[in-house]
Amino acid sequence: MDSQVARTEIIRVEDVTKVYHDNGVPVNALRGISLAVSPGDFSVIAGPSGSGKTTLLNIIGTLDKPSDGKIILDGENVASKTRRELAGIRLKKIGFVFQAYNLNPVLTALENVEFTMMLRGIDARERKRRGMALLEQLGIAELAHKRPNEMSGGQQQRVAVARAISNDPRLVLADEPTANLDSGTAIKLLKLMEKLNHEGGITFVFSSHDPQVIERAHRLLILKDGHIVTDKTNQ
Amino acid sequence: MISKIAWRNILRNKRRSLILTASIVVGVFALILARAFVRGFMEQMLTNQIGTDVGYIQIHKPGYQADPGIDNSIESPGLIKEMLEGDSTMLRYSERLRTYGLICSAYNSAGVSIVGIIPNEEKKITTISQYIVKGEYLGDGTNQIIISTAIAEKLKAGLGDKVVIMASQPDGNIGSEGCRVCGIYETSNSGFDQTHVYASIQTLRQMLNVRNMVSEFVIDPVRRTMMPVVLDSLRKELQAVSGPSNRYEIMSYEQMLPLFVMQLGFYDQMFYVVYGIIAIALIFGIIDVMLMAVLERTHEFGVAMAVGMSNGKIFRMILVEAFLLGIAGTIVGLVIAYFTCLDLSRFGWDLSMFAASLRSWGSGSKIFPILLGSDVIKAAVIIPFVTVIGSVYPAMKAIRLHPVDAIRSI
Repeated sequence: MDSQVARTEIIRVEDVTKVYHDNGVPVNALRGISLAVSPGDFSVIAGPSGSGKTTLLNIIGTLDKPSDGKIILDGENVASKTRRELAGIRLKKIGFVFQAYNLNPVLTALENVEFTMMLRGIDARERKRRGMALLEQLGIAELAHKRPNEMSGGQQQRVAVARAISNDPRLVLADEPTANLDSGTAIKLLKLMEKLNHEGGITFVFSSHDPQVIERAHRLLILKDGHIVTDKTNQ
Repeated sequence: MISKIAWRNILRNKRRSLILTASIVVGVFALILARAFVRGFMEQMLTNQIGTDVGYIQIHKPGYQADPGIDNSIESPGLIKEMLEGDSTMLRYSERLRTYGLICSAYNSAGVSIVGIIPNEEKKITTISQYIVKGEYLGDGTNQIIISTAIAEKLKAGLGDKVVIMASQPDGNIGSEGCRVCGIYETSNSGFDQTHVYASIQTLRQMLNVRNMVSEFVIDPVRRTMMPVVLDSLRKELQAVSGPSNRYEIMSYEQMLPLFVMQLGFYDQMFYVVYGIIAIALIFGIIDVMLMAVLERTHEFGVAMAVGMSNGKIFRMILVEAFLLGIAGTIVGLVIAYFTCLDLSRFGWDLSMFAASLRSWGSGSKIFPILLGSDVIKAAVIIPFVTVIGSVYPAMKAIRLHPVDAIRSI
C-alpha cells in the first residue's frame, strides 16, 4: 500500500488531528485533516493566524507528531519512526525554509549551505563545489564568504533556499518564507522557487497568507479552525 | 566542520569562554603547582632526614631498629669493616655508636641521643658538619661535643662551656664524661636538633666503657640510583659474613623510615582526592557555562534538528566545544605552571615567614618544587576529560529539546 502511494504521492495526510494543552486546557489545532500532495506540486496552505497552517507544515515535516492520524512521506509512514530516523528523513528528503531564515550565525553563506551536506557525510571538496554551484544558481555567489549578519533579509532567504535544496530533497516546506521580505524581494524569491520547481521537479509546500505566494500556487488549501475549508487547483 | 562550528561558538561569546577558560587555567595551575610543591617539600624532608642522620643504608644488629639501645650494638665490628672495605661498589661508610642519655650543664639537663662518630668519616656521609653555625665541627681530640642551638639555649651553654653527658653502660652502671662544646649546629629540622648531640666515637666508648662497639654502620652508595645495586651486593656479602646465625641486618632508608615512606605514599594518594575536588569544582563551572550556552542557542539547535542534524551530532558538537575549552585552558594552565615551577625549582620558594613551622617538619624554609612529566600528562588527560564530563548534562538537555519548541524560542 505504502509503496503504491510512493509512486503517485509524495505526501499523504490521513485524518490528522493535533491537540495542544495550554495550561491544561486542550486546544484543537488540527481536526481531522486529510490531503495528498503529488510530486512536483507547488502548493500553498493559507488561512488566518491560528488556523493550523504552521502546525500542519511541522507535522508534514516530521518536526511535530500528530495526536492522531497518519502521515506518509514518500511512501514511508513516519508515525512509528524514532527521532534518529526522522532526522534522517528530514536530512535526505525534506528541505526547510523558515520565515526568519534561521541561518547559523557563526557560519558563512557557503558553510550554511554546506552544513546539511556535511550532515549527510558528503566530503569537504564536493560540499564546497556543490555549495558554490547552488549559490551561483541562486545568484548570490559573491556572498559565499559573508556571514548572515552581513546580508540583507532577501539574501539570507536565498541562502536558506540554497541550504534547503542542497541535499536534493524531494520536498521543500516553506513556512511564511516571504513574511519578512519587501514585495520586490519576495517576488524574486518566489520566481526562484518556481524555477526550482519547474526545472528541478522539487515539490514545494508553503504556509503563507501572502497574496503574492497564493496567486502563484498551483494548488491552494485554505485552513480554518483546524479544518481544510478550501482545496482548489489553480489553472 | 563540527569542530569549526564548536570553535566559532566558543569565540562567539568571548567573555563567557574566557571566564571558563580562566577557571580551568587557575585549576590546572593550582593543581600542578601544589603537586610540585608538595613533592619538593616531601623530597626535601626525606633528603634532610637521609643527609643529616639516617643515611641511605645501615647495618646493625637484628632488633636494633626496634630497640636502639647500647645492648643491641655490635660488639665486634671487625668483620663488617673488612667486608665494607673490600666491597667493589665504590661505597662510602662511617661507623657510629649511639646511646640515649642525659646532657647536663650547670643550669639544666636534657634527654638526648648521644651520637659517637668518626668526625672525618661522618663528614663524607652526612651533612651535619655543614650545619655548624657557631664554633667548629668535631676535631681529632676527645671530650669535645657539638650541640644544637636549641639544646644550647636550654642548657644555657655556649662555645667552650663544659657539659656532662651520661648514659647507662652495658653492665648497668652509669657512665659519664665531661665535654667542651666546640660547635653549635642548626639543621632544618627542629625536632632533630632538640634530641641529638655529637661527640667522637672514642669519647662515647670511653663513657660507656666499651672497646670497639659500634651501633650502626651508615653507608652511602655515592649515587642514589646505585642504592639497589649496593644494597643487593651488601646483602649477599653480609650473609656470607654472618653465616646461618643471621648476626647482622641491613636496612635501606625506606625500611628505617617506614612512617615517612608511608606518608609519601599517602600524599601521592591524597593528590587523587585533590584532583577529584578540582574536577568537581570544574564540572559545576562547566555545567553552568555550557547550560547557558545551550539555553542561548536553543533556537539554533531547533533549526539544526529541523534540517536533519541527529541527536548524536548535536551531543558531539557540545562535547567538542567543552573539550576545546578544556584543552585551551589546560595548555595555558600547564605552560604557566611549568614556567612557574621552573623558576621556583631554580631559586626556591622562600617561605621564611613560616620558617619555625617548616623547621618542625624538617623541610627547610625554602622549598624547591619538583615537577614531573607524569604530573603534566595526568593534568593534560584528566582536565579536558573533566570538561567533557561537565558538558554531558547540558548536551543531554540540548538533545531532549523538541524541534518545534526549540525553533519557536528566541
